[in-house]
Amino acid sequence: MIILADIIGATIIFAIPLLLVALGGMFSERSGTINIALEGIMIIGALFSSLFLRSADKAGWGPDHPQLAMLGAMAIGALAGTIFSLLLAVASVSLKADQTIGGTALNLFAPAFAIVLTWGIQGQGQTTINIPTWIKITRESLGLQPSQDPGFWDALLFKSTYLTTPIALIILALTVFIIYKTRFGLRLRACGEHPHAADSVGINVYRLRYIGVAISGFLAGIGGLAFTIAAGSGFQSTVAGYGFFALAVMIFGNWHPVRIFGAALFFALFRVIGSYSGSIPFLPTLSGIKYSQYIYQMLPYIVTMIILVFTSGKSRAPKAEGIPYDKGSR
Amino acid sequence: MKARIRKLIQKPGFDSLMASAAAIGIGLIFGLILLIVFNPGKSLYGFSQILFAGFSSAGKFSKVLYQAAPLIMTGLAVGFAFKTGLFNIGASGQYMLGTFFALYTGIIWQFPWWAALLAAMVGGAIWGAMPGLFKAFFNVNEVITSIMFNWIGLFAVNVLLANIPRVLADFYGASNPDRTANMAAANPAAIVPKWGLDRIFGSSYINISFFIAVILAVLAYIVLNRTIFGYELKACGYNRNASIYAGINARRNIVLSMIIAGSFAGLGGGIYYLSGTAQYTIEKILPAMGFNGIPVALLATSNPLGIIFSALFVSYIQVGGEAMQPEYAKEIIDIIISVIIYLSAFSLLLKGFIRRQLQKLARVEAKAASEEEVAA
Amino acid sequence: MNDYIIEMENITKEFPGVRANDRVTLQLKRGEVHALLGENGAGKSTLMSILFGLYQPDSGVIRKNGQVVRISNPNDANELQIGMVHQHFKLVEVFTVLENIFLGVEPTQLGVLKYQEARQRVLDLSKKYGLSVEPDARIEDITVGMQQRVEILKMLYRENEILIFDEPTAVLTPQEIKELMAIIRGLKAEGKSILFISHKLNEIMEVSDRCTVLRKGQCIGTVDIKDTSVEDLSRMMVGRPIQFKVDKKDQQPGDTVLEVENLVVPSKLHKNYAVKGVSFKVRTGEIVCLAGIEGNGQSELVYALTGIEKSTSGTIRLQGQDITRASIRQRSRLGISHIPEDRHKYGLILDYSLADNLVLQRYWEPDFQHRGFIDQIQVKNYAETLISQYDIRSGQGPQTQVRSMSGGNQQKAIIAREIDKNPELLVAIQPTRGLDVGAIEYIHSQLVAQRDAGKAVLLVSLELDEVMNVSDRILVMYEGEIVGEFKPREVTVEQLGLYMAGARRSQKGPNA
Repeated sequence: MIILADIIGATIIFAIPLLLVALGGMFSERSGTINIALEGIMIIGALFSSLFLRSADKAGWGPDHPQLAMLGAMAIGALAGTIFSLLLAVASVSLKADQTIGGTALNLFAPAFAIVLTWGIQGQGQTTINIPTWIKITRESLGLQPSQDPGFWDALLFKSTYLTTPIALIILALTVFIIYKTRFGLRLRACGEHPHAADSVGINVYRLRYIGVAISGFLAGIGGLAFTIAAGSGFQSTVAGYGFFALAVMIFGNWHPVRIFGAALFFALFRVIGSYSGSIPFLPTLSGIKYSQYIYQMLPYIVTMIILVFTSGKSRAPKAEGIPYDKGSR
Repeated sequence: MKARIRKLIQKPGFDSLMASAAAIGIGLIFGLILLIVFNPGKSLYGFSQILFAGFSSAGKFSKVLYQAAPLIMTGLAVGFAFKTGLFNIGASGQYMLGTFFALYTGIIWQFPWWAALLAAMVGGAIWGAMPGLFKAFFNVNEVITSIMFNWIGLFAVNVLLANIPRVLADFYGASNPDRTANMAAANPAAIVPKWGLDRIFGSSYINISFFIAVILAVLAYIVLNRTIFGYELKACGYNRNASIYAGINARRNIVLSMIIAGSFAGLGGGIYYLSGTAQYTIEKILPAMGFNGIPVALLATSNPLGIIFSALFVSYIQVGGEAMQPEYAKEIIDIIISVIIYLSAFSLLLKGFIRRQLQKLARVEAKAASEEEVAA
Repeated sequence: MNDYIIEMENITKEFPGVRANDRVTLQLKRGEVHALLGENGAGKSTLMSILFGLYQPDSGVIRKNGQVVRISNPNDANELQIGMVHQHFKLVEVFTVLENIFLGVEPTQLGVLKYQEARQRVLDLSKKYGLSVEPDARIEDITVGMQQRVEILKMLYRENEILIFDEPTAVLTPQEIKELMAIIRGLKAEGKSILFISHKLNEIMEVSDRCTVLRKGQCIGTVDIKDTSVEDLSRMMVGRPIQFKVDKKDQQPGDTVLEVENLVVPSKLHKNYAVKGVSFKVRTGEIVCLAGIEGNGQSELVYALTGIEKSTSGTIRLQGQDITRASIRQRSRLGISHIPEDRHKYGLILDYSLADNLVLQRYWEPDFQHRGFIDQIQVKNYAETLISQYDIRSGQGPQTQVRSMSGGNQQKAIIAREIDKNPELLVAIQPTRGLDVGAIEYIHSQLVAQRDAGKAVLLVSLELDEVMNVSDRILVMYEGEIVGEFKPREVTVEQLGLYMAGARRSQKGPNA
């Protein structure tokens, strides 16, 4: 049973970054911009939030106020992601450049920049930024006594819970509300479906598209931190393709927040299965094969492809996404 | 003389060239700024390495050519696909599959180099077909498919190589089991020949791969611009609907174009790892060579002949980047490249700006010339 | 002077390469219906877009009630109580009627939308002006007529007093047009001032008080409708008397070229079939026209004929040969040419040169290639021949990038390419869409020339004038079936309209 709790916990922890980034991608695409740069934005967000946690650790105040430090790290990551994403916004919205080129440039920039900055701060050759362990939410952090004999609930709630998890769920709820119940959400969606219609009723399409991209940067920045935490070995200037995974999750979730959450859980499950293959009775352990963990690591990517085959035909993308908005065109 | 310059300026390709040059210039300046930020004292040294290291010796120059070869191939992989309307961000995976096929056939089946290279093309072609098939038949976005297959390819190749003892270095006496064998020990006949170039350049980092790559680039150019096949491929890329209306089989062309693009990238992998100086390392990182094909293609606006030059440029500054270590991380070069790409996204804007400046210049010229005449 | 609620004085607006408005003056009286007449490209839409704040004039002033005003965006226009119903509806398809109406002026409390209030207001307005709509239906599910009413309600919801209608009848049946005329008269009775853009002389004569005519960006003059006639207006619009009737001698149709039997074609938009068992023939020496409102299966029928879509059942025979399962290229080789409905989407590759586009249907032929390599010289020669024969204007001859050519010349290029193939059957779908009168005359003459040369022509058109003037036989399509067959001399436009709207259908099947 502990294994089940472990698996559920691990699934959630991997689903959270997918959820955050996919929601970010959704905001951007619903406003009309395809954000290919989510991968790069995640790296930048993870970079700066990891540096923040590291400095909080070194300065000493981190371990005393762990969740405050986490909030700070999330804020820094979000801010960094937002600013970085504005580069994409300028290129795609104001300058009407090809959205894939601008996004690819940012994706190439981010890991290189992360390595250079890490070198610069930690010294030559030190390319990993370690994440302190005190950020985890344990029984102590809630003021409870450590448990003598950890059971199912302990495994579920305290083995791999971080502040990013509840915050992400709050963001999910807020997203549903904002997109469907507010004026802002209505106008945002109009920009992605029919920007000329929005323009003709006086909505500033450029401004809303900027905001859409900025929100995606905000969420992807936090998502980068969430990924680094989930991956568990510190920040290594990569997010293993999660920025693109998130796009697949977004498509699979048909651009709806709640369905995106379901899709994120689904994909995260496959990511996790590999690590627990030994404990799940009906899965082969492949113990004779070297680097067998790689076989299981392929699973989420293969599953993604299969799912996309079935969903790409019927998907209903925002109608005007990817087309730069030009007032002059009719 | 002035009239000739004026004529040159009027040519349509000129402002594109100027825009690319401007992007490169600004990128380099950004790099200089980074050098100053990270190590002010050595910044001039670092910058001079970037600018001049490639030419500083025959050995260094040969390395520029040497590393340009796989870049040309991955650049072609991206550029050829671009011309036909597809974004081949999967060059990395195709590169790895090409590598695997080359190493396997070279070591296990003891193929000679040219056969192993052909096998590499087959491997890349198979992997390239994937995004093509998924897009043509299931309408799945080729960027996502390519990324997924990059990772699937990485893991698959790693597992396969790790479990075939004969391809690994430790089979031949090395201590490190996580790398593929030194080709000299495993099958010298599979090494891409040098045909005397090493003596001309005085370095072992050169072989005929550069010329193989150039020949393929020229072939790609001919196919795209002079054949019916190229006409149909480009038509599909520019306007899929109109090409269907013209009776062109768009699906078949999408798949074929990705197969060709994949085979280019595969060959790139084969060239690199059959060179005798490189060994494939089993690790969790996607090879950068595949991704560097993107800036190479974009800088040359996907023109195969232009790709030869942009690959040389990227290789050149990469040699400079290696030379400025350990004072600076060589990733600064990647940053410079990404800035150049970002700027190329503004190419339209840059082109317009440059055109206006040139027109102003032309007007001032003409005015000065007419004033001269009046005075005379 | 205070009679004028809106004055646009000496408005000039230039776009790269064209002066859309050249010192145009327009004055709208309070409570009148004022028409703005001109051909395609005369500058009418530009002028009204300036009034609505979508563009800014390069020079000139706009006055409301005598006061100079600046209209920098649609919000400003809205504040001046100016509203516009656009030619291509600006409605978000996935939103509901209600959401589209209040988009931009949403009733909210702390940012949260309040639907109830808005719904009530819309229902009240709907009742008052006789504009029936369903507030919670999605735009993609309602009829074009209702969509237009939504656009009108958008203006009334915002309490606009000055209403601009941009080519409102382009997408309506004759019955819906009559309803619209009544709505406009009703709005006028309620004191609204209306600007009505059109190139349809009959409608202008029917509903307007005064009319301003634009030609090539310049204002030709303003007249009172009661003092003028259709002929006068058309002369002002074009600068010369227009020939309304196409010069056509009677022809005797000959052998059957195209025979369609019980063709069934599925629809991509909904579960039903788009074409439900259609049969007809086209013979040499005749122009047969498929008439009907857009969306009744004409497009799908033509796609099945040309091979772009697969039919579910039925047969298509070209000169006796069954081509139902043939590929697009095979059909092209057997003698079908087509001029597609959307020249940018289907007819041309905009980034290719003119020469490359002109051989788009023939590049594989031995004339143009040897063993897979294109013979560039032959292609160029061929292009030059067509360019001079069909008078295709381009900046740099065969090397011109088609994207930079005008719409009329792009269409000429397509026509040149398709006709030069010497097809047995020419299929033309809305070939004159978006073109000026000169180009339209030219294209009609080409179609007639084909028919006179003994070819078969299948025309699909939405313009009833074109249908009546050009065709020898008219087949009306409604909801995927042929509901009537007529000779132009035997039917009136109103009757056609009834059949097109499904209000009437022939008892027996069309006699093929």
